[in-house]
Amino acid sequence: MALDIRRFFSTTLLGGYGLLVLGLPLAGLGYALLGSLGLAGPLAAGFTPRYWLALGANAGLLYSALFSTWVALVSVGVSVALALSLVLRAQPTLRRWPLPGLLYVPLLLPALVLAFCLFQLLSGAGWLARLSYGLEWIGSPADFPELVQDSAGLGIILAQVLLTFPFLTLLLQAIYQESRLDELRQLSSTLGASAGQFRGRVAVPLLLRRAAPTLLLNFIATLGAYDVPLLLGRPHPQMLSVFVATRQQFDLRELPMGYLAGFLVALGLLALIGILIKLTRRHAL
Amino acid sequence: MLEVSALAKSFGSQSVLRDVSLTLPAGEVLAVLGRSGGGKTTLLKIIAGLEAPDAGTLHLAGHDLRPLPPNQRQLVYLYQEPLLFPHLTVFENIAFGLRIRKVANGKITQQVNQLLDELDLREHAQKAPHQLSGGQRQRVSFGRALIIRPRLLLLDEPFGNLDAQTRADMQQLFLRVRQQHQMTAIFVTHDSREALTVGSRFAYLEQGQLTTFASKADFVRDARTNIQQEVRFWESISRTEN
Repeated sequence: MALDIRRFFSTTLLGGYGLLVLGLPLAGLGYALLGSLGLAGPLAAGFTPRYWLALGANAGLLYSALFSTWVALVSVGVSVALALSLVLRAQPTLRRWPLPGLLYVPLLLPALVLAFCLFQLLSGAGWLARLSYGLEWIGSPADFPELVQDSAGLGIILAQVLLTFPFLTLLLQAIYQESRLDELRQLSSTLGASAGQFRGRVAVPLLLRRAAPTLLLNFIATLGAYDVPLLLGRPHPQMLSVFVATRQQFDLRELPMGYLAGFLVALGLLALIGILIKLTRRHAL
Repeated sequence: MLEVSALAKSFGSQSVLRDVSLTLPAGEVLAVLGRSGGGKTTLLKIIAGLEAPDAGTLHLAGHDLRPLPPNQRQLVYLYQEPLLFPHLTVFENIAFGLRIRKVANGKITQQVNQLLDELDLREHAQKAPHQLSGGQRQRVSFGRALIIRPRLLLLDEPFGNLDAQTRADMQQLFLRVRQQHQMTAIFVTHDSREALTVGSRFAYLEQGQLTTFASKADFVRDARTNIQQEVRFWESISRTEN
């Protein structure tokens, strides 16, 4: 009897959890697909492929996807480079107070707060622009270079790097210690490897392979970031989440297009997660 | 070939090595017996260049070793654990020393395959380290050291983590490889039986002071090595059985 009750509870819990993590997203995905075909949503008027056909003529989504990929690649790339150089070249500093504690600080900041601070600091009317004007480095605040809401996404990239690199540094440092890289460095040197050869042939490949699943997850999270690009990005080009949200929230006529964009973005991210799972299984260390 | 003279090393106020001197001719294996914390690892690390001595001299084939960084000494230090590179296959682990010396690919394949055969590892060449047993990993570690033809091999209790049978097998493998490659080595152990099996010369290190012995008989006779006591123990067991 007790066993039956336990089995009932575990089955119900598992079913409920499955519904939450798989059922709801799949239902959302299905609803978005139906909405993009004119079969669901407030503008549903029967099956129509016109929104899908219009996709070919509208480069907005593609442009947004490319812009997001650029921002995610550069943000994760710069964060990894910074974290790697700290872990491989500043071991004594990383083990000594206060750096390990300071690395936790950006992790406590909500993304929106950091984005707001950067906006205050770097915008045309921000503190740095006023300071530069006050020191007569620039003729007027308008001469201050565009560092936020710029076309290359520099502000978004800076915010993402500030949010990501401390976390990656802590992760790579944990892998460094767990993989006994200090001992591997000594061993490599007695085998004849220079410091550069140890970094290039042992430390970097080992750290990156062990961190690969987290790096890919980070890339996906940056690709789908919303708060930071909303504040530090431009109306054009927009990052994917902002692009989809804009179409779903502000213009009812664009809603089916928003559904379509949301459907395609979710499908793309799911494909990336699929690759991540495969990579993790194949290259587990 | 190797000449160590008046070597001293302290960490803070603790003296780890005191006036250590030894001479090791080419092709010989010096077995250094000693308890944990006696300074054995520090001695090997100083010879390898991984620690700097406070005093004393180190000469290999007449050349002063002290100005040379570890990667230019061609002395391989083997840890108690095999410490294989986890992201490389068995083949690539063994090939490591040749790859960093930019040896041609064909030559690398030929030399690594030869060593894989010698160490009975050919069928495991493409495996990752985590797919091997403890003894196999230690053999890969040997192969990785031997391939660069080190002038001196420094072994820090290399079989300490293996079970008794694998340990005995590895000792035999070491003897075979030593003969084949005319290896010169310092083999540190806390097991007197292992010291007697692998060594051709003998020393005892206690509280940073090294005693070298002129013969195996002198080594066996020294009370600190505990060998006589162990012999008496097994004799008493044998008598009880009879």
